[in-house]
Amino acid sequence: MKTALSEFKNLRLVKAMGFNRVVLIGVIILMYILFAILSPILHEGTNFVSYARVLSALNYGYFIGFMGLGVTFVIATGNIDFSIGPVMYTSALIAGYCMNSYGAPLWLSMILCILIGTVFGTIGGFFVSYLHLPSFITSMSLMLVAKGVGSIFTKTQAVSWPDLNSPNGWYRYMVRAGDVPTGLILLIAMAIICAIILNKTRAGRYMICIGANREAVRLSGVDTRRWEMLAFIISGTLAGIAALFYVGAYSTVQPGLGDTFNNEAIAACVMGGTSMAGGLASILGTVIGAFIVALMQEGILAMGFTISYQYVLTGLIVLGAVIADTLSRRRRN
Amino acid sequence: MGEIILQMKGIDKSFPGVHALDHVDFEVRKGEVHALMGENGAGKSTLMKVLTGIYTKDSGTITYEGREVEFSNPREAQKAGIVIVHQELNMMGHLTVAQNIFVGREMRKGIWIDDARMNAEARKLFEQLSIDIDPRETMSHLTVAKQQMCEIAKAISHEAKVIIFDEPTAALTDTEIEQLFKIIRDLRQRQYGIVYISHRMDEIKRITDRVSVMRDGQYIGTLISGECTKEDIINMMVGRVIYEEPKTQSHCPPDAPVVLRVEHLNAGNMVKDVSFELRKGEILGFAGLVGAGRTETVRALFGADPKDSGDIYIDGQKVEINSPKDAVKLGISYLSEDRKRFGIVLKKSITENSTLATLRSYTKNGFIDKRREEDVTDNYVKVLRTKTPSIDQLVMNLSGGNQQKVVIAKWLVNDSRIMIFDEPTRGIDVGAKQEIYELMSRLAEEEGKAIIMISSEMSEILRMSDRILVMCEGKKTAEFDISEATQEKIMDSATRDIDMQEAAR
Repeated sequence: MKTALSEFKNLRLVKAMGFNRVVLIGVIILMYILFAILSPILHEGTNFVSYARVLSALNYGYFIGFMGLGVTFVIATGNIDFSIGPVMYTSALIAGYCMNSYGAPLWLSMILCILIGTVFGTIGGFFVSYLHLPSFITSMSLMLVAKGVGSIFTKTQAVSWPDLNSPNGWYRYMVRAGDVPTGLILLIAMAIICAIILNKTRAGRYMICIGANREAVRLSGVDTRRWEMLAFIISGTLAGIAALFYVGAYSTVQPGLGDTFNNEAIAACVMGGTSMAGGLASILGTVIGAFIVALMQEGILAMGFTISYQYVLTGLIVLGAVIADTLSRRRRN
Repeated sequence: MGEIILQMKGIDKSFPGVHALDHVDFEVRKGEVHALMGENGAGKSTLMKVLTGIYTKDSGTITYEGREVEFSNPREAQKAGIVIVHQELNMMGHLTVAQNIFVGREMRKGIWIDDARMNAEARKLFEQLSIDIDPRETMSHLTVAKQQMCEIAKAISHEAKVIIFDEPTAALTDTEIEQLFKIIRDLRQRQYGIVYISHRMDEIKRITDRVSVMRDGQYIGTLISGECTKEDIINMMVGRVIYEEPKTQSHCPPDAPVVLRVEHLNAGNMVKDVSFELRKGEILGFAGLVGAGRTETVRALFGADPKDSGDIYIDGQKVEINSPKDAVKLGISYLSEDRKRFGIVLKKSITENSTLATLRSYTKNGFIDKRREEDVTDNYVKVLRTKTPSIDQLVMNLSGGNQQKVVIAKWLVNDSRIMIFDEPTRGIDVGAKQEIYELMSRLAEEEGKAIIMISSEMSEILRMSDRILVMCEGKKTAEFDISEATQEKIMDSATRDIDMQEAAR
């Protein structure tokens, strides 16, 4: 049994992906089977096994995935960003409000949406890297600021982005064109870009090394502040992009919400093998993690439970992932 | 000397890549001061950490008061009566003396902490030891020597039977050492078993009853302190490795150009008006006791910590160094005394560490040129003879000596002209130490690197330096050419404040 496991661990594909990621894919398959069996029993008349369900789960996975990709950079540097959920919501709120109330064209609103994310990321990054504030508190504060700014700007009204049939509805094809999950293609494309940045560029190398030992990197003559801040800028920008996929899937945004999403995005990262201590990050893991979060959401609703159960489960999964991460680090020491 | 209170037999402990303890025997009797000697990295600290449960042994037995014991953490060892007085004191500076002594077992009156009773108890302890310290004083206001005495008082209050002193005199002045010795003699009288770890030969003869020597993780033997000579101990410590003679003459040509000049450098409390020059191809030794401000001086020079004032000239040109980035650009490198925290990224590979300071030149349009990066790493692994299965090996799996070589590689890749080695052989075993020494000499003599070497080991200073600068309490107290330097002169300058010297004149 033990040798079979180690043989499996040594397969080339398994090595390339990382054992943890392979396990996660197994988890996705198991979850799917579990939901397929349980949902018709617990919730009569539900059929979990359908393409519509898959598309619905994917919709939830896209924006979580984009946010997760961004926050992976921040966590790699040994920091955390709790503001991305509300930042995503606020970007969609403000940009959507500009479109609806001030007649801004769609393309401009989309750019604005991304830029608002960038601005929040830049502010948070500046505080953390140049003023050495703890990222935990900084991002918590920015989370509140983002929530409030969105509400004030829209006068606490919900904002709806155009639907598919309106003249400006084309942006929704980014998420789904007929039965084609275009969002999946775009998310994978973005993940590839992120993986290249993280693993093949100087920026990525520095960010990971900063997470592993900031002082050693600084004493090697590297301006660590620049690269640390860049991680936050990437995170904020990707939260802005995530907003487009959120409204592309669900069209309406409420002011004063969004903080549950950053937890789910961080959950996706941690599950995927990105260490909360910094210095270790997996883009592939984050993407798989995002789909686990999405599938769980879909499954819980299909089984007839309320969304509150999802919060409990997400919380427990994050806890489990952090325990696994901590234990493996302790063993290595 | 009384009966055996503590006996360690066949203790074995390995870390990845290092056989730290190789079947080591050690014993302590009641009422004896037993010295544990050995060069840095010989395994003394590891042995004590196994004893007090910080590390778990791989094999061997520990018998304490007639029973076989195995402590799983220092707390258990403390409960049983085995206490270490650490080299770095573990005190909470903002609490009072009494609060520190009774930390974790505060006396209470109902739900309130009873400070009055703790102060009274602490006062009793100090009286026993005839120490004059006010228990109500804030810890950080005391001198290092007095803080150490508080640690001793704390140990006694724990009803310790075995007290381990880990280089207790490293940061003390002569009079303070006398006081400490008085306390230790008193403890011996009262039948405590005392382990005394130190590098200072004269102390061993003065204060200890027996001396056990370790080398390369092995137990070499035990001598009666009164019946052996300094040479006997040294021979056991260095063993087959020839005890290197000190340099008698500078290897640096007298007309070598001055590469670095530092004038009136001030930084915080630890660097006061330090000036010096460094020549091409020269090794300038920074001698002094722990806490003399040597590391602080070079950190300020390197831009790692802010400096208050002072000018730095490179090749006669005044330069501004406000961050390590500036320093690295000017060709200065700093190899920290604390490699793991400040020198290397443990979780990353040899390659990633080797190009950490120079990644920009191995990058094209933001992308890392993996091939060139691996080529240069491979080259330095060969040149420095770094022992590793591959350049993809994580640095945390290498031994101390090989980790140090990775740090050196990082700076050689950067083609640094001025290299600052801070305790370059700390935590490195004897063989690898030799290699580092040879490497440093080669860098200075053949490649013309200008080297500053901070070292607390006298033999290292005398063996490597062309010129020696001595510091004490943040000030430069002396400078010697190697031809005129002696151990006594250096020690004298390292323990005496310059103001006192001037006052004496």
